[in-house]
Formats: sequence, C-alpha cells, structure tokens
Amino acid sequence: MKKIFLLLLLSLSLQANSAHLKPYSGSIKNPTISLKDLKGETHTLAQYQGKVVLVQFWATYCPPCVKEMPSMNNMQDKLAKAGVPFKILAIDMAETKAEVEAFVKRIKPEFTILMDETGSSIGQWNVFAAPSNFIINKQGQIAYTLFGGVEWDSQEIIDKITELSKQ
Amino acid sequence: MFIKNILLIISLILTGITSAKEIRGIELPSGEEVEIRVFPAKGNILIIGFACDNGKSKHEEATSESLAEDGIEVWMPDMLGTYMLPKSRSSYNEIPNEDLTHIIYEAISTNKEVYIVASGPDTQLLLKTAAHWKKEYPDYKDLKGAILLFPRLNDGAPEPGVEPKYIESVGSTTIPLMVLEGGRTPNRWGLNHLSAKLASGGSRVISKIVPDIRGYFFNRADPNRTEDIVTSQLSGLIKVSLFYLQESSK
Repeated sequence: MKKIFLLLLLSLSLQANSAHLKPYSGSIKNPTISLKDLKGETHTLAQYQGKVVLVQFWATYCPPCVKEMPSMNNMQDKLAKAGVPFKILAIDMAETKAEVEAFVKRIKPEFTILMDETGSSIGQWNVFAAPSNFIINKQGQIAYTLFGGVEWDSQEIIDKITELSKQ
Repeated sequence: MFIKNILLIISLILTGITSAKEIRGIELPSGEEVEIRVFPAKGNILIIGFACDNGKSKHEEATSESLAEDGIEVWMPDMLGTYMLPKSRSSYNEIPNEDLTHIIYEAISTNKEVYIVASGPDTQLLLKTAAHWKKEYPDYKDLKGAILLFPRLNDGAPEPGVEPKYIESVGSTTIPLMVLEGGRTPNRWGLNHLSAKLASGGSRVISKIVPDIRGYFFNRADPNRTEDIVTSQLSGLIKVSLFYLQESSK
C-alpha cells in the first residue's frame, strides 16, 4: 500500500515538473523580430531560418524567468552536442541596458539576449505574461508555445525540439 | 523623563488609531452575518475594500486609518471568513451575489458616495459584485466607481501569442473604473487590452501605470525603494484614483 502511495506521489511530482509545449493556436502567421543584442548587433528571426528557435520574452523581475535560465544553458549545450540546429533568442521586456547587463553578469545566460526597450515586439507577438515562450520551426512559423517557467533541459523538451528539427 | 513623555505620546497615538476602528456585523440575505471592520469618517465618501485576507495584510489597516483621517470612511468586510472559505480564486464564486450587493446597499444607505476597491485576484470579487449590483439595482446611481489595484482577471493561464481571456464579469458593469498596474510586471503589457474589455460593458475606464513597482509589491519581502514609498502611500494612490473617478463623472 505504502509502495503504491509512493509511486503515485512520484508520478504526480513528475507531472507537475513536466513541460507542456502546446501546439500554437493563435493568429500570428509570419512572426518577425529585428532587435539588437547587448553588443549592439541586430538579430532578425529570418536569419535563423533552417534552425529551430526558442523565442522567449522575459524580464529580470520575473522569478520563473531567472530560475529557468541555467536549464536553458543546458538545453543549448545538449542540442548542440546532438547536432540539432537550434538557437535561443531571449527578448528582455523593455528594461534598460544597464539593468540587463548587471543581471547577465550575475546569472550568466549563455544564449543571445535581445533588447526591446520600447516594447514593440511584445505587442506584435501578443505577449501579456512572462515568461512567454515560442518554439519556431525551421520554416519560421510558430510551432509550439509555453507559458511559465520549466526545466528546459528535460528529455521531453529535448525530444520535441529534435523531432521538430527533422521536419 | 523625556523618553517617558515620548512613550506616553506614542501610546496615546496608538490607542487613538486602534479605537478608530469599529467592528460591525451585518446580516446577509443568505442568513450569514458578515463582520465588517469600519474606519468611520465624517466625509461624504465611503470606500468598501474587498480584501480577502481577513486582516492579515499589514498595510490595509494603516491605509484605511489614513483615509479615515482624511474624511473617507472605509469598510472592510471579511468576505472569506464569513463563509469559512479558503484564500483561492475559486472561493469568489462561492460567495452569494445577493450577499455582496446587500453590503453595497447597506453602504449606500449611509447616504455617502460609495466606491469599491480591491487588489490582485480580489478584483475578481469586486467585478462580480459590480456586475450583480447592476442587475439587481439598475436604478441606483450611488455606487460611484471602483478602483482596481494591479488586477488579476485572467480566466486560466495566459497563452503566449493569444489574446487573454478574462473572467465573465469583465465588461459586465457600467460604473467608472480606475485601473492601476505596476511598471515592472508583465501585466502592464496587457493593460490596454484589459481596459478595452472592461470598457466594453459601458464603463469609463481610466488606467495608469505606477512606475518601477512589481506585482504584489505591498506583500514582498524584498521591496525596492519605490515599492516601499508606494506601499506607505497607498492611501494617497487611492485618493488620486478617487479624484480621477470623480472628474470622469462630471
């Protein structure tokens, strides 16, 4: 009886931690980005066609955004080692460069941080909460979305992105 | 001697503040009796604060006292405690609509101008009350408006790339609404969308962003300087909101 209870508890806790990438059901057909990174270099979504891209809207004041960043670093490593064409574009939601630079120094994200100081892309992408995540397929369309913090290096997500990279 | 005098003055001030609050019971149509913390004042404005934390918030009483000192009467009904409900969003639906509107009716019976105020998810209860007030008492004009501090009115979790869905009572009232949102919260990006939905019921909606503050800033353990200031000046924020609501009604 005790064993069954423990198994049940374990399965519930795994469910609670598992990520749920939802197939995108919204109306954005041709998403675009043209934003600068912290070094002033412009990145567009179009330049990453042929790769699966995680576009994340985040902010330094958002606790789940901060918590999941190490798992995003791991995810990027794992996919690179597996030879999966993949890119992360993490768009800061209208904070100042100074705030974000101080944050980067402390948390050390190893992926591309883009600055949207006017919030223009936030409106275009219908973002109303953080972290808001979009998985873009190799053709530049939104395949999946995910709201909230998750462990990005979970096998479930790695498998889904690997599968998407083959389409 | 000097210190003794200071302590005496402080204790007199504290005694004065404590005695400003009264506990009043109102019998509700459901048969329950709601306990209301009343901060009486002689002015012609009465605010009902739908705070659903049974007085646990350390700031709401100080804010109410400050408003009462400025002539604004405050009623704080214990909405969850009355029905022994837990602090959760689903509890709001358990509270009978007739009971909520009865509290408004009692407040209006004082012949003061009545406004309602709530923060965070408690704004769901506020809008539910306003929506049913409109249905039950369409001819009463003395519910003058509502202040929604940092409202959380989504129905379910937000979906990236999709317009948010709100609870049923959004857009179901005609009373003027003042909406305040923090500048350092993702919700600020939804403020225009929410305001438009609130206005779709016929309300005049005024929305403002309070710069440099995060969501639930008044309950945070690590407040920044601005959050500290705004928390200590919540009564000022409410008074400014009342001013906007009164101006919009002219």
